[in-house]
Amino acid sequence: MKKSAVGSVFALLLISAVVLPVFLSSYQWPVTARDHLELKGVEESGATNLVSAIYLGYRAYDTLGETIVLLVAVTGTIGILKKAGAVLEDRHSFALPGEMRRANYMRTHLLEAVTSKLGPIVLLFGFYVMLYGHLSPGGGFQGGVVVASGIVFLALGSSGNASSALIRQDMLGRIEAVAFLMLLILSISGIFTGEGFLDNPLKHYSSLPAAFIIVLNIIIGLKVGAGIGVMCIIMLGKE
Amino acid sequence: MIERLLLFLLFLLGFWGILAKHNIIKKIISLNLINSAVVILFVLEGSRIGNKAPILEEGIAGIVDPVPQALMLTAIVIGVCVTALSLALAYRLYKAAGTFNIEDIRKEVSRK
Amino acid sequence: MSPEGLAFAPVLLPLLGAAIVFLAKAFFRGRGAVIAEYTGVFTGLYLPWLALIFLFPVVINGSAVTGVIGHWNSGVGISYRFDGLAWMVNVLGYTLGGAAWLHSLSSGPKGPSFSAIFLIQTAALGAAIMTADLFNLFVSLEVLGISSYILVSSSEKPGAALASFSYLMVSSTAMVFFLLGLFGLYRITGSLSYEGIAAGSGHLEGNTLATAVISLSLLVGAIAIRVAVMPLYGWLPDAHALAPHAVSAVLSGVLIKTPLFALSRILILFPIGKEAGQLMSYAGAATALLAVIIALSQKDAKRLLAYHSISQIGYIVCTWGAAVAVGIGTKAGTLLMAAAFLHALFHAVFKGLLFLSIGSSVDAAGERDVYKLRGAVSILKRSGDKAAIAFFGFLVGALSISAIPPFNGFTSKTAMTYLLKYYGQSGTVLYWMLTVAGAGTAASFIKLSRIYWPGKDEAYRDLPDRKGALAVLPASVSILFLSLLCIAGGIFTPLIFRTVTALLSGSPLSMGEGFSFFSAGNLMKSLYTAGAGIFVFLLATGRRGGALLTKVRERPRSFQGLFVSYALAAAAMAGWLLYHAFL
Repeated sequence: MKKSAVGSVFALLLISAVVLPVFLSSYQWPVTARDHLELKGVEESGATNLVSAIYLGYRAYDTLGETIVLLVAVTGTIGILKKAGAVLEDRHSFALPGEMRRANYMRTHLLEAVTSKLGPIVLLFGFYVMLYGHLSPGGGFQGGVVVASGIVFLALGSSGNASSALIRQDMLGRIEAVAFLMLLILSISGIFTGEGFLDNPLKHYSSLPAAFIIVLNIIIGLKVGAGIGVMCIIMLGKE
Repeated sequence: MIERLLLFLLFLLGFWGILAKHNIIKKIISLNLINSAVVILFVLEGSRIGNKAPILEEGIAGIVDPVPQALMLTAIVIGVCVTALSLALAYRLYKAAGTFNIEDIRKEVSRK
Repeated sequence: MSPEGLAFAPVLLPLLGAAIVFLAKAFFRGRGAVIAEYTGVFTGLYLPWLALIFLFPVVINGSAVTGVIGHWNSGVGISYRFDGLAWMVNVLGYTLGGAAWLHSLSSGPKGPSFSAIFLIQTAALGAAIMTADLFNLFVSLEVLGISSYILVSSSEKPGAALASFSYLMVSSTAMVFFLLGLFGLYRITGSLSYEGIAAGSGHLEGNTLATAVISLSLLVGAIAIRVAVMPLYGWLPDAHALAPHAVSAVLSGVLIKTPLFALSRILILFPIGKEAGQLMSYAGAATALLAVIIALSQKDAKRLLAYHSISQIGYIVCTWGAAVAVGIGTKAGTLLMAAAFLHALFHAVFKGLLFLSIGSSVDAAGERDVYKLRGAVSILKRSGDKAAIAFFGFLVGALSISAIPPFNGFTSKTAMTYLLKYYGQSGTVLYWMLTVAGAGTAASFIKLSRIYWPGKDEAYRDLPDRKGALAVLPASVSILFLSLLCIAGGIFTPLIFRTVTALLSGSPLSMGEGFSFFSAGNLMKSLYTAGAGIFVFLLATGRRGGALLTKVRERPRSFQGLFVSYALAAAAMAGWLLYHAFL
């Protein structure tokens, strides 16, 4: 047996001994948080979907951190890919003879026809998921990812020329930057209206208690959609 | 009990992949495996105190704990971000060294 | 503005600055983009000082700004606590962050993406130290981690990508273990805030206690990776050596310390936390000693500095662990913690200074090998740095790290060793380990200083004049600023120490009756250490010593080793805590 394999087995045994008790612990799951949310959650946050209530209400600060992780990852990934140079030479190109496109890997007319028709529908569905996140399963992040796949569909179906402004990198970058700034301004605005950081600044102006969550959902959705969309487009090898 | 044992095995499988596989793409996939094992464990155990989804329509009672679901949503997104970044790094390493084998990459990089 | 709003300024202003930089990148071209980028950086890196000044009177008497973000119910919402410790770590971060960004104007990497990620990393530092919620700490550490992976890989060298990848893999794996530990503690206590966890884990026994203890050890292990204490140091040398200079300075100066001080907030929640501190203290002393031996063997100038970062963090962890072990609330604990923070602050300043000045010098010469590069002073002068300010900066930094009076490293090392001997568990052993490491540090910097010795610089005579005097100006300003802080920090140490203890405990304490930093005994000890350093240097450059050190340098290192040592450390911590919890 090789020395490195012995090391691996040794490490695996040690780690399994350490984590096994945590995995198998059968201590009664705590109910305090659940009971509080079941009683007061809708009243306090205005959202029927309690996961959304936690995600954008009780623990919105975590969500802010999470969008920042995404923003940094997108910026960094794009930077690294650009630094590494053009895409790899593809030996299994599906390009049809005579096509003059740069980015023609793994593409047929079939794919193109289907994705370009589906793209707008997927976008619409993404906005639905985004807007109804406080009532039903979904929310800004989930909706944003659906929007991003809509953008990818549009990019796949664009036959090499940018038929929609939505698949241009600079346009997506602008949407992302503006959405990030608006997200920050919304989080901070509570400090100046006297509510406090990340407290609902619309409390006294809107009859809809979930208004703040809805606005946050839309902004996060736009930011996530634009960010993941631009990352996928760059990974596709689009100019 | 059996679910938790299976998740434990999934976790070990992922850890083994990170430890012993030489291909960096496999290492990245293994990282996703251990992340998933913990995420599933958290959500699964959090659902033991109820049997309804935490969407409080009229007449719903006995919901599962919504806190783990919200937390794991964050953890999943962070996992995706780390994966995207590590794949980009793997791509750059492949361009620099012409291989995905971690030991060969180390040799190639230290030679340059 | 309310204290609550002010307390979030060190986190939110850099984020706002990053948003401005992103807008500049998306909407402007040319001159407008640069102006907007600098506005963003000013907002994010220099404006927070205003908030910190206003917050000082709030935290100086030991009180803190606390609450739940957004005023939600504390059982579900995120608690925070901005106290003296958070204030001090912010001061540390903004001092070095501001100087390092200035240096990056000369040495690169430039551009809006770099500035924005740099700002976000600074924000994450503030968030990690002021949170009082376990999951929020997880998120803050992930933001911190992902921005530093990218900053490391922003260097042009292919080795930087591998360093970044190794760092990413080991640290992300550790964060999964952190999440598992969080799961264990949430399952037992039903809470994520530190107070709730402390209240819920009061009287446990049997299996539940074992689960809680193991969960705690998983948290400690994940944070120890970021701190790079032995044996978890493996990712650090490559990452810190191959990153751009400004990033190296911040990584070594700030990033490895913030998680440590954030960890002390968790450890005081558990009675068993004291034992964790004790083990970390021993590991820290071993780190200080072993890393300095490896540092002495290096030939790459920046890698040598990176190993010294590990060694110096060993000093800090040793003292910090002793403080946790005797109890942070007690007088001895406060003194030890203050000494640990003092060295963290001073190390940030002098190690930042060393990375920046060595970075300027090796860039000017285009050569990083300590054994080859000579006559760096005249090379610097030819490259535009007419007054050889980078050499001056190196001199100040090297004298500080070698603990020569009156520079700041002398006073903080004196405070740590003295207090460890007086209050620490088996403190005499720790005292001697740290003292021997001090001699090794002096030897290693005599070796590094040889790149400035005159001679053999003909090889570099034909270098084109790559930078004008104007281009090195930002670098020179940042180097001079940090040099000044090194000297001022040393001279005003008694005042700074009293302020730090006041911030930690509410009332100023002094080292002890009749103790003086610049007493004859302490000065003599510094002289002996420096003398021993020269002796070690002569040994190391001798034939036998050289052969031995080459063996140390060429020791086998592998990617797999990072994870094996993580498994070892996690098992050791869990075993140690279980032993003390049950026996």
